[in-house]
Amino acid sequence: MSTERSGRRGENRREALRASRTQRQVGSIRPLVRKLNPVEALDQEGIEKIHKASMRLLTKPGFLILDYPSALEVFKAHGATVEGNIVKIDEATLMHYVRMAPSQFTLLARSEQNNVTIGGKHMVFAPVYGPPYVADHDTGRRQSTLKDFENFNKLSHMIPDLHHGGGTVVEPNDIGVNERHLDMVMSHIKHHTKAFMGSVTHADNAADSVTMARILYGTDAIAQNPGLLSLINVSSPMRHDDRMLSVIDVNARAKQALIMTPFTMVGATSPTSLAATIAQLNAEALISVAYAQMINPGTPCLMGSFISIVDLKSGAPTFGTGEQNLLLFAATQMARYYNLPVRTGGNFTAAQTSDYQAGYESASTFWPTVQAGTNFVLHAAGWLEGGLISGYEKFILDSESLGMMANYQRGIELDEESFALDAYDEVPPGGHFLGASHTMRHYETAFYSHRVFNMDNYEKWQAEGMQNAYKRANGIWKKMLAEYEAPALDDAKREELEAFMRWRKEQIRAGKPRTEWQG
Amino acid sequence: MADELDLRTLDDEELVEQMHDDLYDGLKEEIDEGTRILLERGWSAERVLNDALVAGMTIVGIDFRDGILFVPEVLMSANAMKAGMEVLRPILSASGVEPIGKMVIGTVKGDIHDIGKNLVAMMMEGGGFEVINLGINNDAEKFLAALEQHKPDFLGMSALLTTTMPYMKVVIDELKERGMRDDFIVLVGGAPVNEEFADAIGADAYCRDAAVAVETAKTLLAQRRAAARAQA
Repeated sequence: MSTERSGRRGENRREALRASRTQRQVGSIRPLVRKLNPVEALDQEGIEKIHKASMRLLTKPGFLILDYPSALEVFKAHGATVEGNIVKIDEATLMHYVRMAPSQFTLLARSEQNNVTIGGKHMVFAPVYGPPYVADHDTGRRQSTLKDFENFNKLSHMIPDLHHGGGTVVEPNDIGVNERHLDMVMSHIKHHTKAFMGSVTHADNAADSVTMARILYGTDAIAQNPGLLSLINVSSPMRHDDRMLSVIDVNARAKQALIMTPFTMVGATSPTSLAATIAQLNAEALISVAYAQMINPGTPCLMGSFISIVDLKSGAPTFGTGEQNLLLFAATQMARYYNLPVRTGGNFTAAQTSDYQAGYESASTFWPTVQAGTNFVLHAAGWLEGGLISGYEKFILDSESLGMMANYQRGIELDEESFALDAYDEVPPGGHFLGASHTMRHYETAFYSHRVFNMDNYEKWQAEGMQNAYKRANGIWKKMLAEYEAPALDDAKREELEAFMRWRKEQIRAGKPRTEWQG
Repeated sequence: MADELDLRTLDDEELVEQMHDDLYDGLKEEIDEGTRILLERGWSAERVLNDALVAGMTIVGIDFRDGILFVPEVLMSANAMKAGMEVLRPILSASGVEPIGKMVIGTVKGDIHDIGKNLVAMMMEGGGFEVINLGINNDAEKFLAALEQHKPDFLGMSALLTTTMPYMKVVIDELKERGMRDDFIVLVGGAPVNEEFADAIGADAYCRDAAVAVETAKTLLAQRRAAARAQA
């Protein structure tokens, strides 16, 4: 209560309301635990048929290991058969190792309240990963820079329904390819306080990521709970190369979390049938999980999948189709069958700009992603042109759907208060509930409150400049960046991270082999 | 919190500010009490109306327009304003002060969709207007009887259905027929209604939402009174 004007009461309520209802919840996440049962595409018999087919694929034709003999040795030493570059593994051996992976784990974030649980009924949304281009309403598509990378991290900081900061939110093309991973990890550490992903572009870069996570969280801390989550792609069909396998090695030895993601372009990197595709991506993910356990038992792993149906007239990837969504449901079911956390889906589109197609395709992939009970959703915001563009406006527009989905997964409350008996005592038939006591108790949190979409009537919309969603989102991200304040970072940690970066960049530029940082 | 404070301990300036806050918070009894205290202290009803109530509701209106306040909150504020107005109205009319204005409002024949119309009525009351709410499904006879009985400044009609909105013209035509059209400012609204339709049927204005209805009513009434004074 104010003391300045001792006679009055509650005088700052308006100010407080204006502040709380217009300002964003910055820096902290709104965790999401699903209450609804996941949608399923397979019955129990179907799951077992798929499992059986996957096991068969791992003995015939087996799995190709490209340019990485040490992995062949690892597989052989752990009971697999190696014929040339092909690994064949039987069901009992495979499942022995798959079962070593935890069904659920905690991923550290710089701000402890932003730690996220991966697995079970928890759902974690993360930004788009990997685009070499950026686009906005003002300039269209262009090569992205470190500044763009930092901008997306700043926006993530200000969106509570993004639970995780992601990784390569956009490629910083203006920084040398050998050293940009350092700037990228540093930006994640500096510009938001959520969990982030490690670099996977080279084993040394993965090792640098682990070193930075050790500096940030402490060596013991990340040995107990991973401080990094890294994205491993299977170069389907049925193949891993030296780059991905060496990055698995680095992370598994440090017990950092991995997403094993078959890259499935249905019709091209898998057959045109859905059953074969799901069996194949299942086999690819499982053998990757098993390999990580052979390196270090207990390494946290997600069953991943990236699924796009190929347009067989052009070869282009498509998004939001019925076939894709059936596979998405099946993939999450298979992961639950193996008791592993699952990553799939996102706000996908093939559209080049934030138009109707972008919105519709995104909704058509994001709804099933959420309904499937996906544990980790990469590409939840910003994705355009089949993943080639990080869109500023798309990032903002997608963030609206994240919030709506969170409310969807709250399910239907069935307690006494939720039946609003007193409201019917108060409001006669034909009346309205806008002023009922029950309404007054709940209106603030009853429904999702839009921040981007516009519900005005035509005349008001016209009077305020006739902005469509794309244009409105343009104003919003600019305003957010203008209002952004960097979260405080411990000075000692910042100094060590910067010293490490300088030291590593010198090493890289001198062409010297990587050595471990001694602090 | 609200009952801890004795409003009488506040000086005039503090009390007026407190009433602005209480309007914002939708505290009906406090507004009733505050209005009476100011009158007891010798304030004119007109000054209480303008400085305490209308000024307070202007703040509510701004925050509603800006999307800060929820509809249920504005409804509570409007109810508080209405409580204050009930105290002031008899004094205002006895002292010959020009009232803020009076409106007869209803949904037209065949239309029972009244949420929007009720929001308009609520906002008009929040703006200090006296509102006679005829409810739903009103034919021309009912509207005209109410107009003759209450002699308002405004007739407000609303419709949700494209099939019922033409009935607004029936009412207006009936007013013309009886030579009463110019006695009232006719405001129309509802989801399918727009300015073009309002013009076509001979209404004075289309109000796209409840907040605009209040602004439009204030503007048109001020113009009308200025014109009347100029003629006098």
